[in-house]
Amino acid sequence: MALLHSFLKMLDRVSPAKAAYAHCDIPCGIYDPHHAQLAAHTVIRMIDLIGQLEKPGPSATPEQRQEYMAKLSRYVLVKEQHAEIYKSEIRILWGDYFKPEHAQQFPQLHDLVWKSLKAGSKGRQEINLLAAEDMLKQVNEIATIFWKTKGVPTHSAKAPYPTGRETVYPNIG
Amino acid sequence: MSPTLDPGDYVIVNTWAYRRREPAIGDLVVLRHPQYEGRFLCKRIAAVPESGLYSVRGDNESVSLDGRSFGPIPRPLIIGRVWLSAKAGRRRARTPESLS
Repeated sequence: MALLHSFLKMLDRVSPAKAAYAHCDIPCGIYDPHHAQLAAHTVIRMIDLIGQLEKPGPSATPEQRQEYMAKLSRYVLVKEQHAEIYKSEIRILWGDYFKPEHAQQFPQLHDLVWKSLKAGSKGRQEINLLAAEDMLKQVNEIATIFWKTKGVPTHSAKAPYPTGRETVYPNIG
Repeated sequence: MSPTLDPGDYVIVNTWAYRRREPAIGDLVVLRHPQYEGRFLCKRIAAVPESGLYSVRGDNESVSLDGRSFGPIPRPLIIGRVWLSAKAGRRRARTPESLS
């Protein structure tokens, strides 16, 4: 069988055969960059909360230290989770929603996705407000392109969350 | 379609297979994707209802997304029957189960 495979592989190089897939994505057609935007806001918020946490001083009681550790752990955990959600959502948009014609129309798309994923990793690894804000900036640009591909105009407004950062929204309705 | 087919395997399709007979349950077929133009799928016929619509399934039921996702397949989408398949002849991927 390996011999036949090698022979067919050789033929495939000369005259490429069409690929048949055994797995197919469910073409649900339901995509939205909002998940990733929301996840970026959450990462920003967690970094804000971590910054606001009062660090236990040298005279802190064991209970105070414990409380600090518990809160810090929770904020870090949520930050990690949402940075990962952000990356996953960007990958879904990139791999499932965007088509070659979108990349032709918006040549910056691949680079933007790459930068977003890098920003997501940095936002996850560090307690770094600039990195978290960069996550939101990148996904806002992706959101602008996403809605353009659907012919939906967008606007930028301050988000109605404690983070309050500028966010790209579709003009629907 | 694992274990019947794995990524990288070649299949030779007989596009004349259904000139004299209709696809039957168990046939391994190549068909056009009902929603994505230009995309081909390799599936097994699971049921042949009288309406001329065919249900298809993947062999690897736990992970394959198949006719249950996109509904029955009209007859014209079926291109032909897999006549011959050639395995890549590589070692099986080492899964956590196979290592334990």
